[in-house]
Amino acid sequence: MRITQFLASKLKNFSNLPKEYIERSKKQVYWQTPKEANYLPRTVERKRYRYTTNRSWTGHFRQQNMPGTSRRKVFVEPIEDWSFFRGDRIEVLVGKDKGKQGIVTQVIPERNWVIVEGINWHYRRVGAEKEFPGIIIKSESPLNVTKDIRLVDPSDLQGTDFEWRFTEEGEKVRVSMRSGRIIPIPETNNQTYDYKTPNAYIEREKDTTAAVVGEITFQPKLATFEMDIMEEMGIKEERTPAKSYWY
Amino acid sequence: MSTRWYPIYQRGNPQLRVFLPNFWMKLVRPTEEQPANVVTFAVSTQMTKHDVKNYLEKIYKIPVVDVRTRIALGDTKRDQVYGYITKNEDVKLAYVTMPKNEAFTFPDLFANKAEKQEKDEKSMDESKQGFRKFLDRNKKRPGTPGWYSI
Amino acid sequence: MSATLIKCFNLAKAVGTGAFRNALATSHSQVAAWSPATVGSLLKCGIHSNVPLQNEKLMEFFDDPKHWSETEVKVGRAWRTDELRIKSNKELHQLWYILLKERNMLFTMEHECNDKMEVFPNPERIDKIKISMENLETVVRERNKAYHLLETGETGERPQKQIHNAFGLRCNYKTIEHVLPPFMNTKWIKAQHNTYGGRAVHKFLLHYREKLYNVKRKAKNRSRNEVMMTLRRNPNIDLQMLKRKYPDVDIDKLLSQDKTRGHYVTKVDA
Repeated sequence: MRITQFLASKLKNFSNLPKEYIERSKKQVYWQTPKEANYLPRTVERKRYRYTTNRSWTGHFRQQNMPGTSRRKVFVEPIEDWSFFRGDRIEVLVGKDKGKQGIVTQVIPERNWVIVEGINWHYRRVGAEKEFPGIIIKSESPLNVTKDIRLVDPSDLQGTDFEWRFTEEGEKVRVSMRSGRIIPIPETNNQTYDYKTPNAYIEREKDTTAAVVGEITFQPKLATFEMDIMEEMGIKEERTPAKSYWY
Repeated sequence: MSTRWYPIYQRGNPQLRVFLPNFWMKLVRPTEEQPANVVTFAVSTQMTKHDVKNYLEKIYKIPVVDVRTRIALGDTKRDQVYGYITKNEDVKLAYVTMPKNEAFTFPDLFANKAEKQEKDEKSMDESKQGFRKFLDRNKKRPGTPGWYSI
Repeated sequence: MSATLIKCFNLAKAVGTGAFRNALATSHSQVAAWSPATVGSLLKCGIHSNVPLQNEKLMEFFDDPKHWSETEVKVGRAWRTDELRIKSNKELHQLWYILLKERNMLFTMEHECNDKMEVFPNPERIDKIKISMENLETVVRERNKAYHLLETGETGERPQKQIHNAFGLRCNYKTIEHVLPPFMNTKWIKAQHNTYGGRAVHKFLLHYREKLYNVKRKAKNRSRNEVMMTLRRNPNIDLQMLKRKYPDVDIDKLLSQDKTRGHYVTKVDA
């Protein structure tokens, strides 16, 4: 249990969407056997997707992965411990912004990418039509975490290599190789699309309030769920089920 | 026993009761014109007429006079890319008749949608208009830089 | 099933007593809890019961009119098993019907949106309901299992066992409920003579094993190619990590092959 805890990535799900939904929205089933007893469960579906800066539940993602199309496989370098989080200060090692520092605003682990605020940007034209040249906007390109960036040491604000180590309390932390200082994981990593901190969440109309959720109403009783409910509703059942055989 | 196990019938057994029904029902827009007191539902295929009636009466407290059901065949179509023939799942449709004095018309959910959308597209329209103004102004003096006039 | 439903639905009446103010989702507050979204409030059902217009009750199949033209409808997260475990059976039963109603509402809205070529806002609400319902059922099952284990020493679940099927392959068999004991059930006894020694079965098994072997072989090749390509693209990659990730690939052997070398000139230290 503890080992798995340590191994679990510290990266938080910013979108706050359930895994089931993310899988479901991405799925492209081309053909499927009917859900009948006389068919074996077989599906023909898309297996490989091209991940980009568009997240997999958006329409843009679907447009880039239209059914029936296939693109060359992208080899992504495997990473054991994800080490770059939203809110981290990093230094750029390549490109036109080489040497600059910036704050990570978005993390795309499917491609080992981070997007850094105001770094590695270009102009993009959107909404162009025949009569209208479109609007120019700035957009940031992603940077590869293994090659293009390195973390910044908080003690001297210089780029540094780092290592994952354990503190005496058993907590896994990033440690700067140069100064030996702990590089803390920023609070921004815990923010999600729905709230900045769990306490700051505004309860919506259909939400059960936290107080009601935390209320303990369970009382142990020698009865099954059905028996308890029947007693509650005053349903009397005198008959006993006849013996049946399971084989 | 699991909440989803349906025991075999044996005479004199206790009455069967479903405590956590997992049937779904959705109200759908009728394709044909029908009396005001008839409502169309798409329901779980396993549901019987009695199930539909009880479901509406007990859970939604809607009085039901009559229920007629049919199973609509799912659409088949040929996949444009791979040429497979795929078929959507069959759907059970239930036509529920309420008492005569009741009436239900399917609401128009997207009446206000157009207004909302206009608001969103406003900023784009504004910039388009600004560009057109700029063109009009510079019609008679081509080649003038944008900063030349206010 | 119909007869059975009649009485069970009587149970649903109890739902109106409303222990949960809102049943759909729990909100996000509390340290680790943004709370579960439940389905429409129970209290509301009670108010509506006095309204004579049926129209009103059928409107429970639709979302709140103020959400109709919204592009985003935010709710909390799904109920977790830990939160459901501390709730009484009665409350779980009520919550089930709230969730059920909410799911019907979402299905109706989704269907209509698809019909009218509109975007259904926040479709993950359906998944949140589904997760909540699954978790609720898990908790109910846990409680029933505990009761049965205490009282009878068995889980009370449908018994399963490992058997050899007609092809001599091990498979999981979910037992079936019968009125007659096995020795009296002649029909069942006759059906039991499944032998798996024939030539056809032998031939089938040969092909079947070949298929299984091919799946394994292809998976192995695939991971080897993956490692090869990774090494070619990233000459400085941490080999220990790669070995941990692909334990069945002989990386040392691969490294000696030309295929793992990329199209680059090795840097010579000046």
